[in-house]
Amino acid sequence: MIQRADGHRTGGAELPADHDPERDLVLERVVDVPPELVWKAWTRPEHLKEWFVPRPWSIAEVEIDLRPGGVFRVAMRNPEGEVMPSSPGCYLEVVENRRLVWTDALGPGYRPSAEPFFTAVVTMEPEGSGTRYVARAIHGDPEARAKHEEMGFYDGWGTVLDQMVEYVKTMG
Amino acid sequence: MAIRRPELDRVFHALSHPARLAVVERLSRGPASVSELAEPFDMALPSFMQHLGVLESGGLVDSTKEGRVRTYRLAPTALAEAEGWLGAQRALWTGRLDRLDDYLLQLRDRAPDDEESP
Repeated sequence: MIQRADGHRTGGAELPADHDPERDLVLERVVDVPPELVWKAWTRPEHLKEWFVPRPWSIAEVEIDLRPGGVFRVAMRNPEGEVMPSSPGCYLEVVENRRLVWTDALGPGYRPSAEPFFTAVVTMEPEGSGTRYVARAIHGDPEARAKHEEMGFYDGWGTVLDQMVEYVKTMG
Repeated sequence: MAIRRPELDRVFHALSHPARLAVVERLSRGPASVSELAEPFDMALPSFMQHLGVLESGGLVDSTKEGRVRTYRLAPTALAEAEGWLGAQRALWTGRLDRLDDYLLQLRDRAPDDEESP
């Protein structure tokens, strides 16, 4: 069973006091696998590359040094097969099976980066035989979006449409 | 069980027919006239127009008429949440987590050998 309540909180932890609906996203899911497995999927390159970007994009490279200050870098490949430039971020908090925080505002060793855009906070907790996980994407100045536009996510909404078409096809 | 937002249900319903899906796929490459859209289908024009009507009332497509030619195009309003920088981020994260959940269930269903500890 997968519950989806993206952006519409139906339970779980309260939103943090500093939540800014104009700039932040909160996505909450319950998935029927234990937290240990969810943790692996977020923290091991061989797993992360299987899912970290929506189709028809794919992951070309993943670099993970799983400790505070350690590098987190993902290079994405667009549907045409080109690998997009990637700038390394770093982990801020690493609490196994519970909490993972990283940002692109700081690079490896906490060195400030040129184009800070977001910090991500992923928390997971057991729920029944499964896991409730919450992913928060905390963004800085929306003007900083330029970088992500370059990465291709902002060129219309073709990716979303492709996903929807694919989804509907699987519905038979 | 999947909790979805109504506007997405409407969009999915509009897409839940092969002909309508094919029309959307065609329009994702650019606007087209009714005759262009109908051409691949072995379907009476009134039936085909009904499908276009479902897509239009579902907010997936818009149409404009110039002279005798009605041209259809994809309607950004159907996927308004993918508009704007935050919408684009939401689309990214939603698509990402959809894949994650699918992948997690695949991992779970694999042989236990695949889930060794580090």
